[in-house]
Amino acid sequence: MKNIKEISTRLEIAKKNLKKNKAKNNSSNAASLGKALKISTELVAAVVVGSTIGFILDNWFDTKPWLTIVFFFMGATAGILNVIKSAKKMQKNFRK
Amino acid sequence: MEMNPMHQFEVYRIGPEIKLGGVNLSFTNASLFMTISSITILLLLFFGTKKKSLIPSKLQLVTEMSYTFIAKMINDTAGPSAKPFFPLIFTLFMFVLFCNMVGMVPYSFTVTSHIIVTFMLAASIFVGVTIIGFIKHGFKYLELFVPKGVPILLLPLIIVIELISYLSRPVSLSVRLFANMMAGHTMLKVFGGFVISLGLLGGWLPLGFSVALTGLEILIAFLQAYVFAILTCIYLNDALNLSH
Repeated sequence: MKNIKEISTRLEIAKKNLKKNKAKNNSSNAASLGKALKISTELVAAVVVGSTIGFILDNWFDTKPWLTIVFFFMGATAGILNVIKSAKKMQKNFRK
Repeated sequence: MEMNPMHQFEVYRIGPEIKLGGVNLSFTNASLFMTISSITILLLLFFGTKKKSLIPSKLQLVTEMSYTFIAKMINDTAGPSAKPFFPLIFTLFMFVLFCNMVGMVPYSFTVTSHIIVTFMLAASIFVGVTIIGFIKHGFKYLELFVPKGVPILLLPLIIVIELISYLSRPVSLSVRLFANMMAGHTMLKVFGGFVISLGLLGGWLPLGFSVALTGLEILIAFLQAYVFAILTCIYLNDALNLSH
């Protein structure tokens, strides 16, 4: 019985410490690093996908460089859109 | 002494060559390390949940913590309607995490540093989430590509851009994991090579760097598994709760 009592007091102390730590740093460092890594690849991926689609369509319709150029810019737009979207989502979570 | 930093990513065959209808199905070191990480997960979860005591042992604590961690993440990002997908996301997270962590052991092979592995994971998630979206919403799921309040004249352009943005999801998901793992392991190897080539006099600085980088790599290994799982949750959320 004594063992359980001792553990429950220790648990109480640990809980208090946890609460104190939580108040100190609201958003942990690791989570922010994850977000930063997330945004950086999102921009590049859309450009790559856009250019690839343009390249494939170019090969189909025999219109070499034009569709690649057009879809490169569309991909860049999509990438920026991606970044804006996830930034907005982060802001919403941050305010909550 | 092997000094090529890319040598560690080489895939080679272990055991006999197996060919099935022109497809090479031989057992490679990549399959070996995937098996090792899967078995490690199974053993951890088996022994962690074997003795369900009120005061948990360390093993049970790890198991319970990983469960609550994922359950909380799904609830926060995808809402209660994503609860049925818990096994999928838990499996994904544990598999990626253990592949990354097993790769941190010296002389082992990092499965997730190959783009084909991460791309297959991401592509299956992408296809699965799209199918779930269509099952759940029917053709209304296509509204995802048509934002509200856009002039009709601009609509064709916007739809193409949104489509590219949607298609870029598996690419960004897979490239992120693969690039982080590969860059980290290459860097570790390069600094390790510096230690050897600078010798007893100048080798101490890169040795310190190697130690620091190993710590960073362990953080990245966990973080990338976390990001992989959380993004799956976010995509699932988009498919389940159609909203802009």
